[in-house]
Amino acid sequence: MFPFLRKRVLSSAIPLFCVVLGVFFLARMTGNPVDLYLPLSATAEQRAEFSAAQGFDLSIPAQLWNYLVDAAHLDFGTSLRTGQSATEMVLDAFPVTLQLAGVTMLLAITGAVLVGSLAAYRPNSLMDRIASLLSMTAASIPDFWFAIMGVLVFGVSLGWLPTSGTLGGPEIWVLPIATLLIRPFGVLVQVVRGSMVGALSAPYIKIARSKGATPQRVIFGHALRNAVTPVLTVAGDLTVGLVNGAVIVETIFGWPGIGKLMIDSILQRDFAVLQAAVLLTAVTIFALNILVDVCHALTDPRVRLAVPA
Amino acid sequence: MKSPVSSLPPGRRRSRPTTALLLAGTVLVSSGCAVANSAGGDAGQADGRTLRVVLTQEPPTLEPCEASLTSTGVVVRSNITEPLVERDPDSGDLRPLLATGWKQTGPRTWTFDTRSGVTFQNGEPFTAEDAAFSIDRAVNSDLACNVEGYVFGDDDLEVKTSGDNRLTVTTAEPDPILPLRLSFVEIVPRTTSTKAKVRVPIGTGPYAVRSWQAGTAISLSRNDDYWGRAPAFPRARYVWRSDASVRAAMIDKDEAEIAVALDSMEAEKDTTVAYPNNETTALRLDGREAPIDDLRVRRAIDLAVDRQGIIDALLGGLAEPAGQLVPPGVVGHSDAIKPTRQNVAEARALVKEAKADGVPTGRTITLVARNGMFSGVSETAEALQYQMKEIGLSVRVRMADTATQLQYQLRPLPKNVGPIALLIMHGNQAGDAAFTASQYLLSDGPQSTFGTKDLDRRIADAGLLSGEKRQKAFAELLADQNNNVVQYTHIAHMTGLLGLSPSIRYEPNSATGDEMRLAEVGPAEGAKD
Repeated sequence: MFPFLRKRVLSSAIPLFCVVLGVFFLARMTGNPVDLYLPLSATAEQRAEFSAAQGFDLSIPAQLWNYLVDAAHLDFGTSLRTGQSATEMVLDAFPVTLQLAGVTMLLAITGAVLVGSLAAYRPNSLMDRIASLLSMTAASIPDFWFAIMGVLVFGVSLGWLPTSGTLGGPEIWVLPIATLLIRPFGVLVQVVRGSMVGALSAPYIKIARSKGATPQRVIFGHALRNAVTPVLTVAGDLTVGLVNGAVIVETIFGWPGIGKLMIDSILQRDFAVLQAAVLLTAVTIFALNILVDVCHALTDPRVRLAVPA
Repeated sequence: MKSPVSSLPPGRRRSRPTTALLLAGTVLVSSGCAVANSAGGDAGQADGRTLRVVLTQEPPTLEPCEASLTSTGVVVRSNITEPLVERDPDSGDLRPLLATGWKQTGPRTWTFDTRSGVTFQNGEPFTAEDAAFSIDRAVNSDLACNVEGYVFGDDDLEVKTSGDNRLTVTTAEPDPILPLRLSFVEIVPRTTSTKAKVRVPIGTGPYAVRSWQAGTAISLSRNDDYWGRAPAFPRARYVWRSDASVRAAMIDKDEAEIAVALDSMEAEKDTTVAYPNNETTALRLDGREAPIDDLRVRRAIDLAVDRQGIIDALLGGLAEPAGQLVPPGVVGHSDAIKPTRQNVAEARALVKEAKADGVPTGRTITLVARNGMFSGVSETAEALQYQMKEIGLSVRVRMADTATQLQYQLRPLPKNVGPIALLIMHGNQAGDAAFTASQYLLSDGPQSTFGTKDLDRRIADAGLLSGEKRQKAFAELLADQNNNVVQYTHIAHMTGLLGLSPSIRYEPNSATGDEMRLAEVGPAEGAKD
């Protein structure tokens, strides 16, 4: 397992570094934040002073070097917008997104395994057709539309749920998670179904059935184990995508997560916070990918055995 | 061949991922609920004692010297901090606040008498020294406050006190509207930092900041030592939702008492109130780039625009066609200036004439607009694009975010970007056209692309006048811009929409969008106390 992990860590570090560099350069291509932060009457001296204080007066390579050196010391600078530590702001926001994404994926995987497996047990049955239709619809619905309709129907018309916000009991989680959930659930149902149809037609399943195994035993005891690998891979990718999806959910429902922080930082040209947020997100995605690979290797040893020591 | 999968101990394979998944799920769910619950229960419900306001965005700062920024001012001004004088949004007259009176005591000097018996929220008494300190801090310091940029010129003010209650302010040049300008300076105690902007301010206002949960809410509590009339609500709480339909839904769902900046789709509701917000939309034409460096082409664009059509179809009918950059109620506005009526045939003829004289009318004009500037902005940009194309011009639309749009709006203007028609929305909350003219009409105005020497001279002269003469001078120079400069194709005087819960009474005014005085909000008759 160690050689496998080492190879994966090394191969993932390169794209991680590229993302960090990309954000650094792209952020600076959007222009100097001085217009947003200084008044119209700011003198040339004030502008120069502001730029010098923020290090914007240095050449781009010098700025990059400073950023990398500071980042190595876990110092990501100060927010232009709030004056707070960028690290602090990012670490405050990140758990919110992580919770949303974690709960969403847990529910998506559980629901998709149940629905997808049942649909695959009898292909082309009524259950299968309903599941396919629903999953395709779910995978196609735009998140923002679903979120707004959820607010209008379940918040305003029926009055069952709050419209938005983070203060309150478990009911505040329902609409944000449902909005985040719908697409991964739809995609995963299709993946589970496809994978399970293949697994359920394997000879060992016929043997299990001939021995009188119950449908539950056949599905969850035998077939699912061998169908889980592609599901894990897709679930990993979808989890990564949830961080992007969280931007919409956090913006509409007023959740102070990393997605909203990134959008606000981009719009406010708050480079320090943006860089810290992207770096943390990239590292998390990197760790998630490793985790998915480890799970993949655990469930299918061919994966790790294929890696030369 | 034996499968490598089946060679693993079955028990391990079965239990590990399941257990890990369940463990992860339990941790996430429990930690999630813990976060949600730990922040909850803080005045989130309709209790009749908390006034809940939903804004479009979280204020980046509550620093009083940044209160000319809409997102900051709407929370801070006259709620947490107060100025010496305030402008009545309806009459335009100045009213005493922390100053009890003022008069011009010299060509360049104004004297203010300050109020006694006022204390700051930290318990310190308010004196003229604090007023002098606050003016000095906002206008003369190196803090680079926005109020300095938007309200005061480059020159510093000379501020002196005599005794606890008298203050004199001297300007570099005679300034007949200095008290109006000072209505934008929020007074803070002398203990406030002069080296850095503060995140949470202390003032003399009817409310004090109780807590700021970053990203979630700002809570205020009533200042029990307030010198004026006590506000009806002991507490206030601001939250922010960027989506207008969610803000409107929060009123419907009784999750907020006030929601700002609603869409015109909500206009028909009983809980929605429309009010003139002093904002004017216009297309600023860059007079330095062909083909819009040609007066005929700029006139043609002005004639091409169907103002009423845009208002009816895209702005929900909630605006008035505009013929000048300032709306009624602002000193300098002239009823005699009528909005240009659409005349496509005349506009086409002007473009054709310019083309015949060698003006490159086929050169593509970039129409830049800002996302979220107002409800229906992208459709408005597309309508303008269509109407300009109808008269023979080539136009492409570029929707931009605030920072990008500012690059086009403020000097130094970007180079080598071709001819730019910039959709702007100008709000004159100060109530005097001097603020508009110095920004948008001067040849080198911070938000102007060009002008004329004659117009510059008239702006300078008008700024020295007061009373009727001032009104007349600014009205004439606004007409002159329409006749001889045509840097702007005015579109509409806009309207704001406010969502109000039936449980409260509040009458919005033209200042509401920038200065929402919570002390003016009360429970509706018969509402639960």
